[in-house]
Amino acid sequence: MNIKKVFEVRGHARGGQGMVTAFEILAKVFSYSKNYEVQAFPFFGVERTGAPIQAFLRISPDAILNRSNIYNPNLAVVFDEGLIEQTNVFDGLPENGIILINTDNHPSFYKGKAKNIFTVPATKISLEKKLGSKSLPIVNAAMIGAILKILDAGIDDAKIIISKEVPSKPEANSQAAEIAFQSVVGFTDSSFHKTISANIKLTASPNGLLSVPYWDKPMSLNKTGNWRVFEPVYINRQPPCTENCPAGTDVRMFVKLASEKKFEEAYSVIYSHNPFPSVCGRVCPHFCQQNCNRNIFDEQLNIGAIERFVGDNNSSYHFNPSPILYKEKIAVVGSGPSGLTAALRLRQMGYPVTVFEALPKAGGMMRTGIPEFRLPEKILDREIQKITEQGVKIILNKKVSVSELENIFFAVVVAVGSHIGTDMNLQNENEIIEGINFLREIKFNENRKSICKGDKVAVIGGGNTAIDVARTVLRLGGKPVIYYRRTRQQMPAIANEVEEALKEGVKIEFLTSPVKLEKNKKGDFKITMVKMKLGEADDSGRRKPFPIKNSEIKISVNKIIKATGQVFDDFVFADTTVKTKQGRIDFANENIPVFCCGDMAWGGTVVEAIGSGNEVASEVNSFLRKADYAKSRRSNDVVSADQINFAYYLPTPGNPNPFKKVKKIFNDFTEVVQGLPSNKIVQEASRCLHCGDCFNCGNCFNFCPDAAISIDEENRLRIDYDYCKGCGICIRECPCSALRVEEENKLVETE
Amino acid sequence: MKTEVAILIPKRKEIKRHTKKVLKGNSAAAEAAKICRATFVTAYPITPQTTIVEEIASMIARKEFDATSVNMESEHSVFAALKGAALTGKRVFTATSGQGLLYAHEVLHAIAHLRLPIVACNVGRPSYPWNIWCDQSDSIAQRDTGWIQFYCENSQEVLDTIIQSYKISEHLLLPTLVVLDAFYVSHTNENVFIPEQKLVDEYLPSRKKSDSDIDIDNPKSFGGLVAPDMYDKFNRLFWEDMNKVEDETIKAGEEFEKYFGRKYAAVEAANIHSGTKIILITLSSITTTARGVIQSHPEVGLLKIRLLKPFPKKSILKILKKVNGACILVTVDRNFLGDNEGALMQEMKRALYGRTGKIFGVYAGLGGRDVPPSTIEKIISIDFNSAETKEIIWIDK
Repeated sequence: MNIKKVFEVRGHARGGQGMVTAFEILAKVFSYSKNYEVQAFPFFGVERTGAPIQAFLRISPDAILNRSNIYNPNLAVVFDEGLIEQTNVFDGLPENGIILINTDNHPSFYKGKAKNIFTVPATKISLEKKLGSKSLPIVNAAMIGAILKILDAGIDDAKIIISKEVPSKPEANSQAAEIAFQSVVGFTDSSFHKTISANIKLTASPNGLLSVPYWDKPMSLNKTGNWRVFEPVYINRQPPCTENCPAGTDVRMFVKLASEKKFEEAYSVIYSHNPFPSVCGRVCPHFCQQNCNRNIFDEQLNIGAIERFVGDNNSSYHFNPSPILYKEKIAVVGSGPSGLTAALRLRQMGYPVTVFEALPKAGGMMRTGIPEFRLPEKILDREIQKITEQGVKIILNKKVSVSELENIFFAVVVAVGSHIGTDMNLQNENEIIEGINFLREIKFNENRKSICKGDKVAVIGGGNTAIDVARTVLRLGGKPVIYYRRTRQQMPAIANEVEEALKEGVKIEFLTSPVKLEKNKKGDFKITMVKMKLGEADDSGRRKPFPIKNSEIKISVNKIIKATGQVFDDFVFADTTVKTKQGRIDFANENIPVFCCGDMAWGGTVVEAIGSGNEVASEVNSFLRKADYAKSRRSNDVVSADQINFAYYLPTPGNPNPFKKVKKIFNDFTEVVQGLPSNKIVQEASRCLHCGDCFNCGNCFNFCPDAAISIDEENRLRIDYDYCKGCGICIRECPCSALRVEEENKLVETE
Repeated sequence: MKTEVAILIPKRKEIKRHTKKVLKGNSAAAEAAKICRATFVTAYPITPQTTIVEEIASMIARKEFDATSVNMESEHSVFAALKGAALTGKRVFTATSGQGLLYAHEVLHAIAHLRLPIVACNVGRPSYPWNIWCDQSDSIAQRDTGWIQFYCENSQEVLDTIIQSYKISEHLLLPTLVVLDAFYVSHTNENVFIPEQKLVDEYLPSRKKSDSDIDIDNPKSFGGLVAPDMYDKFNRLFWEDMNKVEDETIKAGEEFEKYFGRKYAAVEAANIHSGTKIILITLSSITTTARGVIQSHPEVGLLKIRLLKPFPKKSILKILKKVNGACILVTVDRNFLGDNEGALMQEMKRALYGRTGKIFGVYAGLGGRDVPPSTIEKIISIDFNSAETKEIIWIDK
């Protein structure tokens, strides 16, 4: 083409698309290879990426005698078609003016808007050449090619200049320019060729301000949201504490409430999943705490202490019985944590529930197996009392079998636990004391005579029973040594309890197993022990121990107590063989549906028993209401430690549980671990990272480059999608992973 | 589209010992600092000046420019450090804008009265109401600090003026501020002819050593307390040299033409003759647009003020001798100084003292407001002979 007079180009783009550079390159093309006078300059309205900007280009054979903006361009170029609905790109375009739009649409799509319309799929071309990203395609090289096509100026010189001038990917950029040069689609009337170089008659100029971008009006008019491809959304993700609680307790929530001193609300949150906060606060292994993301940062949150405080602090909390809604009576056999939890849940749902307990006191293993120095009786009594005050009926001293219940009850939940010790298959085994019975005798009958002061006592096993037995022996004046066939890592006992036992003076011999028991005349024992080594992992995932040949040693002790595991008492099934499992079981007598929960069906801790009780209650309800039952699912979106932005947290030492100072352990059965005072609890709860839960820290608000995040009337952070460009900075800077990026088209407008 | 006509090659010749580049005003300023062989550059970035110091820093990093660049913590320090460096006899450079220049105000006095031949660029932008666009109130607020001030119309003039400024400054031992318009010059890419290094070296040899430079073998103290009689003497000597600036500017411009082929003076007159009815008096980039408009208005003349401080009264009066007494003078001020008149109007009235004839002051383009050809048309279409036309006119009111 032949430019005889000043030819003016006006470009419309968003800050960051490279238009200013494109116009600079075009100026160079026309200056260097065609020897024109040129002027290329930007018009920055507001300095924000994504905000509408304009740039101008003048090309002339003679000196350019004008240094003002361009109002009536010979050619208007639109780098982003989203701008068409936002700014009037056709403003001041003369009748014979040309418009070039970056779009996949055919020019006829814009028919009627201008006479000479050209389009080029510059975004598509640029993405194919991997220039920029889907959210920020760099279209400038392609647009240079298209503009050169419109100006009929050839592409060859431009390719050389483009590859020299672009900051990166010279090859891809010059290719994009060439492809675009060949991809321009035109829609013109027949007079196009005549008009292109004709004198443009200026219509009245608005004199001064351009209509866009606005600079004399509020910044809020420059909406940038329609540039967004991905958008950030606030989400609530599953924290590892809640995820790992077998009872399903919303741990993060009650910790948060505790940090706000809302202890009663925190109690309700725990109670909705766990009716034994004070018990669990003391004896639970706290899977929540073990999986706390703070573990890799400084130290885990002491959630156990918080739970214990919340439970104890609400000791006078009063419940009213729920109304009876259904006639179907339900029997629960066993008053341990699973039985009582199931009973309470079913009672809360509106069923009349009766619990049968063989022993004179309710509580199951919490009562019989956990010593006073770990769980004081009055704590347990209080939590059981709260269950009964809600309408659960407990019949004590009543050992029942399922068949006795069949004509009275519509369903029976069997939760008898595991209270029968297992055998080691050794000779003279019946001469030694069973650990679980030993503990029960102490608790129920104050029978402390089995151990005499100074007795050397061998405790066989590595579980919680073995540890509790050894610590009890210590308090009775005995000298306990635990013999365990694996190593400390494989011990099923709660790690804290092992630690405390060792501190108190319990000795543990690892990789040692008894092979022979001999009782002498005085009633003392000689045990032959064999040393073990660990082999491959077995079904439980623990490495299996094997005896080492010729490693036998003999030891003499006064007493032996074994704690090598327990099984359930099958009296409840009238001595028939039943395969127990969680929920409804196959039972020979079809007159009554039988469900199982607790130790005999699930895990071996109080909290697992509670989870098991919750689960069975909902299964029983579904069965009686003839509704579909679905097991509660675990989340598949748990916040992991690598998703936490630790830079935004201060390392803060935790508040460990205080221990009672013991002068003399003999005969001291008072509680060892003490609670924390309320100020320490608030402090500890405030260490929570809030994994996956926005805690209004305001990082996103502070970092948003477009001030698109605001705080609403409820003091919650909100994203204004009119301005959010989807840059993702908020997601990156969120400390607790409570923001996620989503594909634009999947989203529904927020409120 | 098919190619209908072969590409027309404009007749403009290549210039000897120059390379043509498409540069924006800011890049031309950076390029000038390099070819003038400045050895010490201090910087503190501010929109719209930033790209000047950025480009200098990257040229130094690429080892194309042998200088030390120091990023300071404020503009006050930028000029203070420059002062110290210049005292050693070195050629130094910096650039700033708007609030940055205002912040450096105190040091500007010190530099001038220590008679240091520093050349600095200012990309004109206003202060408050907060604005980043083109305006001259920042540099004009420094009129009385004792610095020479040049205002440039385009990128080529920025480059050429910096070269000449070192010549003038080092001859008279006075600092010079070279002012370019924000965006309309600073960010406008256009053809610039860059002279080869040797040519610049021939025109502008290294700065001469002087007895008043810091010399580690002969320790002296600088900036001590000056008694009233000496103070008066220093100022009188300053005044004597300041009065030489106009002539030195013309001399430097004529010499520049011999080397580089482009002529410069203190002012430039276009279309001023006995038949001229209106003369537009302009600074900087508005001049270009006015040039375009007067192409179709033979009765309108144009007087471009290139040297604003000290005001080139002699040159102006000489040009105005050509016109008759009915010719109307109209100043176009892109600066508001808290007074009735803008800077050009004030200076012109001062220069014209004792003469008869009408003069009007127009405010246009403040804070980056665009001055398109239509605004110039509007100015020249005012009926200046009407009794109702006020002396001061806000053209976009």
